[in-house]
Order: sequence, then C-alpha cells, then structure tokens
Amino acid sequence: MNKMAESILSFNQFSFQYSSLAEPTLHDICLDIYPGEKILIAGPSGSGKSTLAHCINGLIPFAHKGKISGDYTLKGRCPAEQSIFEISRSVGTIMQDQDSQFIGLTVDEDVAFAFENDCVAPEEMKPRVAEALSMVDMLEHLNQSPHELSGGQKQRVSLAGVMSMDVDILLFDEPLANLDPASGKHAMKLIEDIHRDSGKTVIIIEHRIEDVLEQPVDRIVVMSEGRIVAVGTPDEILSSNVMQENGLREPLYISALKYAGCELTPTVQPSSLEILSSNEQVRRALGEWVEVIDNSSMKSESAPLLELQDVRFAYGEGKEVIKGVSLKIGAGERVALLGNNGAGKTTLSQLLTGMVKPTSGDILLNGESIRQWSIRRRGEQIGYVMQNPNHMITQTMIRDEVGLALRIQGVPQAEITAKVEEVLRICGLYSYRDWPVSALSYGQKKRVTIASILVTEPKLIIVDEPTAGQDFKHYTKFMSFLSRLAEQGVSLLFITHDMHLALEYTERAAVLCNGEIIASGSTASVLTNTEIMNRANLKETSLSMLSRSTEVATPEALVRHFIQYEKLKKQVSEHE
Amino acid sequence: MSKAGMLYIERDTLFHRLDGAVKLLMLLAWTVIVFLFQDIRVFIVLFLLGIGLLKSAQLPWTRIRLLVWVIIVFNIFNSIFTILVSPAYGSEVNGTTTVLIDLGYEVLTLETVFYILTLSMKYMSLMPISVLFVYTTHPTRFAGSVNRLGVPYKIAYAFNIAFRYIPDLKKDFLSISNAMQARGVGLARGEGTIVQRLKHYAAIAIPLVQSSLARIDTVANAMDLRGFGKHAKRTWYSSSPWGRVDVIVVIVCAVVLAVSITVRVKGFGTFWYPF
Repeated sequence: MNKMAESILSFNQFSFQYSSLAEPTLHDICLDIYPGEKILIAGPSGSGKSTLAHCINGLIPFAHKGKISGDYTLKGRCPAEQSIFEISRSVGTIMQDQDSQFIGLTVDEDVAFAFENDCVAPEEMKPRVAEALSMVDMLEHLNQSPHELSGGQKQRVSLAGVMSMDVDILLFDEPLANLDPASGKHAMKLIEDIHRDSGKTVIIIEHRIEDVLEQPVDRIVVMSEGRIVAVGTPDEILSSNVMQENGLREPLYISALKYAGCELTPTVQPSSLEILSSNEQVRRALGEWVEVIDNSSMKSESAPLLELQDVRFAYGEGKEVIKGVSLKIGAGERVALLGNNGAGKTTLSQLLTGMVKPTSGDILLNGESIRQWSIRRRGEQIGYVMQNPNHMITQTMIRDEVGLALRIQGVPQAEITAKVEEVLRICGLYSYRDWPVSALSYGQKKRVTIASILVTEPKLIIVDEPTAGQDFKHYTKFMSFLSRLAEQGVSLLFITHDMHLALEYTERAAVLCNGEIIASGSTASVLTNTEIMNRANLKETSLSMLSRSTEVATPEALVRHFIQYEKLKKQVSEHE
Repeated sequence: MSKAGMLYIERDTLFHRLDGAVKLLMLLAWTVIVFLFQDIRVFIVLFLLGIGLLKSAQLPWTRIRLLVWVIIVFNIFNSIFTILVSPAYGSEVNGTTTVLIDLGYEVLTLETVFYILTLSMKYMSLMPISVLFVYTTHPTRFAGSVNRLGVPYKIAYAFNIAFRYIPDLKKDFLSISNAMQARGVGLARGEGTIVQRLKHYAAIAIPLVQSSLARIDTVANAMDLRGFGKHAKRTWYSSSPWGRVDVIVVIVCAVVLAVSITVRVKGFGTFWYPF
C-alpha cells in the first residue's frame, strides 16, 4: 500500500461526547484510512466502534448531537461542516438491522430510494436499479417484498442501494449480526469481490473477527473503551495478544496454537491458516500439545427429561415443516439445536412450548405425554427465553417482572417475594432488585428474562440465540451463568447457529436441516463432520480446518482437547 | 392480507392501471354525489354501476369478502339502531304517517321503513367503489400520485412506510404474545376473565411500543443516510404520468359531478317516497 497517498478519511486527536452523556465516548482517535483500503474495526460492546462509524457516515453530528473536538476530514473536508446528504454521497452505509433499513415495499423500490430522493427521472432509474441489483446477484428478486427474502438477501439489496449511489467508502456496521454462518460467509465473499472489482474503500465494523478474516483485510483497528488500542495488519494483530486483552474472540485456530505454545510472529503469517499449517514448527508444537492430555470419558447418559418421538408438523394443509423429529434431552444436559435460518428451529421450539401442536408424533416430559397440555401448563416446566430481552420485559420494576408468572398463578405475596429474591441472587441481580428494568444493560436484561423464567422452577429452558446482541466478554459471562444452572439440574436447549457457542457450552448437538434431524451426538463429533456441516449449510470451525490441514490429530480429537484445555484454564483462573 | 401485509391485489385491469390519485378523485366525487341525494333510485343506479366496476376489476371474492361483510353488518346495525331510536322519523321527513306497528313509546311507520331502506342503499352504493379503491391501489404508487397532486412528499411517504412496517409489527406482536403465554399470561379465551385478558394484552403493548420506537429510530437513520429530505421535491420510481384513460376518467367524474349538482340545485333528489 502506498502510504504516500492522500488519505480519504483522517482522524487527528478526535474526541466525541454525546450531549446526553457526561463523559466522552471517543477519546483521542488518530487514524488515517487510504483510498482502496479494506479495514476491520473491531472492539467489544461499548468500545465506541459504532460511535466511530456514526462519525464516519454523518449520523454524528447530524442525527445524534454532541461535542466534537480535534480534527477529522473526509476527502479533505470536515464532515461536520457539510450536510448528512453530502456525506452520504461519499460514504454508503449498510446498517446492522437488515430488516429495518429495507425501506421500499419491493426490492427494486428499495434500491431506487436514493435515486428518488435525488430527483432522478423514473425512466432513468430503472436501468440503474437493474444494474445495481445484478451486481449483488439479486436481479431475479426484483419484484419481491422484504418479507419473502432472507436476512442475507435483504443485506445484498441494501448493498445494491448504496452501490448505486457510486460512493467512495462502503461502511458495514456489523454485517454479520443476524446472519447464519452460510449467509455470513457469502456476505464476506461478496464484500471482498466488490472491494476487488470496484477498488472502493471498505470499512467493516465487527466483533466476529474469525468470520471477517476469512477474506483478506488490509488492516485491523482494535478499539476499547473509546480509544484505538492497536492498528496493524492481520498478521501483526493475530501475533499479539491485543484481542483477548480487550475482550475480543480471536480465531479459534489462533487460540489453539497459542495454547500449544507456538511462537506466532507476523513472519509466519498467522492470518493464513494454510501457510501456517505447512509450517513444520507449528505442526510439531500442535502435535505435542494434543498428546499431552488424553481425552477423558464422556459424561454418562442421563435419563431423558424430554423426548420427542417422530414429531411431525405442517401449517394447516401446507407442506410439512417438521418431518419426523426424534430427540432426547437429559436432565441437566446442555444441548445445541443447530440449523440454518429456515431449517425449522423456531417451529420446533414452538412445538415444545405448545404454541403449535404436532400433526403426529408425541412429546414426553419425564415419560408423560404433554401433547394435550396447555401452553400455560407447559410454561411451568419448559421455559422459553427469546432472543431479544426487550421483547419479553413488560413490567417497569425488576422485582415485578421476575415475579410476574407467580402473581398470575395466584401465589401469596410473601412467597413471591421470597422466591423472587432467591432467584435474583442466583442470577446475580439481587443488588438491583428495586431498580427499574430500564436502568439495566442489555446483558443484565437478558438475565432478568432468565430470572423471570426460573421462578417457576422449569425443568428445561429453551434459549433462542443466546449470543445475539452480545459481544464475546458479555456472552462468555452469560453462558457460564447458564452452565451453572445446568449443574444444578436444569436442562438447557440452545437454539443457535453459532458454532463456537455449541462447541464450548454444550455436550450434545442436533442438526436440523429442512425439518429433519440429520445428525445428533456429541457436539465435538457433530461439528467436525464436514458432510453434515455442508448439508445443513453450516460452517466448519477453524479448529477442524486446522486439524485437517496439519494432519496432527483427527478434527474431533483436536476439538475435544481444545475444549478441555479451555475448561481447565478457566477453572485455574477461577481458583486464583 | 397478502404476504407483504398489503391489501393491494395484483391484477391487470383498467382499475389497476388507473393512477392512484385519479382513483382518489373518483372516490371523492362518488361520495359527494351520494351525499347530495336522498333518492333510492339514484342509489340503486350507483350501486349497480359500482358492482359492475367491481366485477371488471377481477378481485377474488375470498380476499375482499371480509371488508364487504364488515360494511354490510355495520349497515344492518345502523338500520336497526335508527329504527329503535326514531321509529317515526320517516313520517317527519315525508309529512305523511302510515302506522305499521305500535311500539309503545312511539309508532313505527312505513315511511320510516322506506327511509331506512333508502339510507342503507345510500351506504351500500358507496361500498363497491370503496372496496375497489382499497384493493386496487398500490401504496407506493398512491403515495407518488398524491404527491403529484400537491400533497407534500414527506406526508405522502408516511403512508408508504406504514404499509412497509405493519407486517413487522404483526410479527413482533405474535412472538411477544407467544413468549408471554409461555409464562402463563393468559391471552386466549378461557384463560381468565375478560378484564384480566385485556390487562395482559395491555402488558404486551410495552415491549411492542419499545421495539417499535427502536425500529423508528433505525428507519429514520436509514432514510437520512440515503438522502430522504434532501430536496424540496423527489421523484417516484413506481409511478408513471397520467395516461389518456386517467384524463378521461377525471373529465367524466367532473362532468357527472357538475350535472349532479345542477340537478340537485334544481330540486330533484330529495327523499323519494313512492307510496
């Protein structure tokens, strides 16, 4: 890269403070981005990465007011002295929420939105819309409404919308949030293709680093607590420990190699799994590490708490969406239900909670059929936690929210108070018991929703996409909290497409694909089965890729070893 | 409702091709004419004409029947209510009294029955054209065409946005109410008294409003970032200029309206009582 070139975007001792906050959110940002670069800005929640993105696209200071100090320029001019419309000619933003940013009633209308606002004549718009859509391979969906599209397709439409404006910088705000692994992979590939073909500057804000790094990136900017803590090439950043130190998840294969005691330096090119795998030193270190601890035996199988027997379901006279699912969940077991969007995960959880009734087959709880049970009766045994806690919380005060189910059951007030306080202690929310819910963070709200389900002492809790909306640090905390519940005998079913989560926090995994369970067994063996992963359109973890390319151990052995090592490490650090 | 949550039913008929604003003008003219007269013969003619137009639009009965039934049921209730409240009103209007039944507090007269029939026919003559308007007008094309009539585009676009996000709201509502029910909050019939159930429904409003506010914020940002409100005017992707048919329809509407007003001013069209 030619460092002598004029930067397209430049921050110099830049700080920003929202009008509503007492402290600045961004401190002393110094960053130069050059034309044609592809930059990843990574950081945990609250690190200021989204605020920085808003400074780049003009939402700050035009939609969100605040105090700016220091200098920043976009193509040589200060953005704050322009208008948001002028900035949007240079910076095209693809927002995180694929659904809400889709404004049009149809695909073509949405792409045309910017043209319309620019007063382009209708007959001139049509060919330009078609051209933009063919760039993202969405031309055949021209007349479809957003409700007929998947998250990944909606994202591509949004990309077409900003591409059509011929901007210089493409800014992606958490493009992988809400996408399943296959769509995420597709999205990163598309971004790379566009970057290569158009030569535009690309800025990606993400905390799922491993997925972004599957495609080449020029530089990574790591943010923490409103400051830039590191800038470097992927090789430089991956060789250092800056990611873990700042609550970010480095690629799993990098963690494995570090555990194995490999000396990672930029010269061994850790960003490329292939080059790394051919390195003799790396292979030897990894081989020795895997042999150190033998794999202890699996937990013995407990009696099934919940059993699905050949459950089938179809909406009305329509096609079957659940095609004969059989599944067992033991008491205190943590099970991952994996599958792509549209595989039938939501329907299956609705079958468990009783929102819909199976057309045939049976569901047993402790050996008793619950087919005829009402939603409410099931709710006392099977709790359901939604993805977004804001969708579940209906009361203003934490205490009331947690006690809601008991109040409805008509439990005496004294008993409710005792129970609520006990549950709040378990969930680490006791000190907040008299607070309003609105004062809590997203992660704390998620705990409140768990607490409000725990009060009825369910045997099984279904958690829908537990990692959604949480960064690595917060989700690690949340998941260890849930695991402690499992140790107390509560069974957990995680509905997810997050491979890392399944790998680290579940003993067993079942893969749902087109309404059928195509594999179930120990998580390590299911997730390393390439054929199953491909069939279900899921993504192999980088750990199994590492084992395959280095050939030092079977993927399953390496994965098991890795999980065990991390568990030991965690225990050690907890003792200290 | 269709998958997209729109009422619009895609067909290729004269009515579907008509510009949204032209259809709105036609609906307005029709309404004005209906309210000018009090003569059942006029209403019958308008009703039959409306039914004919409705047929020509090829709308499937299964999709429009709900609205049609709502209008009919409303009409029946309205009639019963009017008869009970003022069973002799028709005589007041017509100046003659033909007693049918003695209700005790008042007498029901034949004039009233005929008056109510006229009133019902009046509402029914508005039904076909309203159904047509609702189901053949695409929200975006409508927004574009009323904007061309001089309605500010920010107001016209609000119409569009509402149609875009109603299905999302519906989806949120369903998932929230599902999760609530799993926690024992009774929403369905037989799960508590009506008051309890209403209270529980009200509780859903909190997360629903909150998620809607968050959505509004995102949508507003998305619109800002793509230049909405940049200029005093904007163009519309899916609207085309008035064609010959549009102009003809507007002229016909204007002529018929003018004729109606003239006829009415000359004295024709007050309450018509044949007996």
